Amino acid sequence: MDWGRVKALVKKDLREMFKSKYILSAVIGMPILFAILIPLSTLYPMVVIDPSEFEGEEELPASFSNLMSLIVPNWDDAGAQGQLLILTAYIMYIMVLLIPIILPAVTASETIVGEKERKTMEALLVSPLSETELVTGKILSSFLPSVIGTAFAALTYGIITNITIYPYINSLLFLDVLSIVFLFVIAPLLSILSVELMILISTRVTSVRDAYQLGSLVVLPLIMIVIGLVVSYLFISILALIASVAILLTLCAIFFKIATNVFDRERAIVKLV
Amino acid sequence: MLAVETYNLTKMFHKLKAVDELNLEIKEAEIYSLLGPNGAGKTTTVRLLTGLLRPTQGGARVLGLDISNDLQEIRSRVGHLTETPALYERLTVRQNLDFFAKLYEVPETEIKPRIEEIVDLFELPEKLDEPAGTLSKGMKQKVAIARAMFHKPELIFLDEPTASLSPESAKVVREQIVKLAKKERRTFFICTHNLFEAERLSSRVGIINHGKLVAQGSPAELREMRKDETVTIFRFSTWKSNTKEFFEDKKIEIVEHNQDQKYVSAIIKDIEKQTPSIISSLAKNNFQLVEVKHEFPTLERIYLELVELEGVPREENNMEDS
Repeated sequence: MDWGRVKALVKKDLREMFKSKYILSAVIGMPILFAILIPLSTLYPMVVIDPSEFEGEEELPASFSNLMSLIVPNWDDAGAQGQLLILTAYIMYIMVLLIPIILPAVTASETIVGEKERKTMEALLVSPLSETELVTGKILSSFLPSVIGTAFAALTYGIITNITIYPYINSLLFLDVLSIVFLFVIAPLLSILSVELMILISTRVTSVRDAYQLGSLVVLPLIMIVIGLVVSYLFISILALIASVAILLTLCAIFFKIATNVFDRERAIVKLV
Repeated sequence: MLAVETYNLTKMFHKLKAVDELNLEIKEAEIYSLLGPNGAGKTTTVRLLTGLLRPTQGGARVLGLDISNDLQEIRSRVGHLTETPALYERLTVRQNLDFFAKLYEVPETEIKPRIEEIVDLFELPEKLDEPAGTLSKGMKQKVAIARAMFHKPELIFLDEPTASLSPESAKVVREQIVKLAKKERRTFFICTHNLFEAERLSSRVGIINHGKLVAQGSPAELREMRKDETVTIFRFSTWKSNTKEFFEDKKIEIVEHNQDQKYVSAIIKDIEKQTPSIISSLAKNNFQLVEVKHEFPTLERIYLELVELEGVPREENNMEDS
């Protein structure tokens, strides 16, 4: 594999994407929506409620509270209002983890089906780019904006939630191993998987709009995986976490192979061009 | 060495034969034009030769390399202008050229001077740093041609290169093609509907219809093959009432006669021998002959006759020239 050609393809795709107002607004807008607007609109009303309103409310089950205290420093001192805020902040974390799934669906549609829609695919297929270089380049160029968007969202979300919750626990949230593994390992793997599925979709559709529509169906199972992982977040063991990562890696490898085969030039020219 | 050699090259899409046992031999530094109506098999042929499609039967060698085994090398040594300019419209002209230069591994230090060279070559305007999408249709086509030739390929496939160009731009492109073929010994494989261009530009022409090569040769050779269809025009100073009968009596096939303009056009078999005897016979019979002119069949006429003989091509074949 010639990395020089892959780099050229990625650079070209990123240049093109960031000159598209639609892509730019998705890359900037989605993190703002998911990491700032939705969390703020959920957390803020809870903050402004008088703490006395929470007095006499039913307490969380002791087993659940014990698990939370393993992750959240000073959990027991947070009080009912603080604990509710912390729980909401962790549930809202799902939103941040959705970005690496949804954003590549937009960028991959643009970069792969966009080539077809704008009739540039044939010139690319007739170049010395190999199928592996082409798929690798397309994965990277779809993946990088989502990484940037997710990193921006995670950072912003972390700042907002910690500013809100710090007074209750005098400590920072999301610095535990699980949060970091979710953000830096599981989220990128889900992102790659999302791009690979979009490549498969690209062989079936003729326009970027169709790709978005079909893409939304494909990201649904991935969203379910994220929700499942986050719900089991508190109960997940290190072994289960390693197994989840291994399964995702295997899926990425399998879909990479399938995506490379889909980019067989004859099939691509018959179905894409 | 032959630049392109195909042997019984066949491509089927389900039951449809898009290319049917095609046998071509194109020499190095040759300008070869493949003529044919829409859906005739021109684009499929080029796609087979550039490895975008796999042959169903037969095979081909491009620059001495097998299209089934050496595709990567073939792709790096040929240039290809697709039917549409296929430029990245949000990128500037320079960024477009730069991207393809890197795909074809043009050394970094050579890219900038090459861009300047190609701008001069194709008289591209000072719009190098403008988005390609802002260029006119003809200008986009010129950039696409420049892109196909940027990495100095030995063999260049051009699909309708001058289709959207102004006459001035088309002339520039044609001049460059001839110059590159002569001076740098590049081979050109041109798919076109433009008979005038094929005749002016090409050393040899192939006519394809229904995926089959129905005629091949230099424009002069094609005319020679059809010399029996040369039309001879006899023009008179005065029209005699028995002019038509004179030709009919001699069993000469009259194409057209016009009493007002005082001429008869006819197809004469064995033109070199027969024409002088007809002239002397006309003189003996007091026909006032003022002009005798041969109109050799044009490439256009040959093409149209061959294509019509073969029937109307399948327009519905959307794999082709779509």
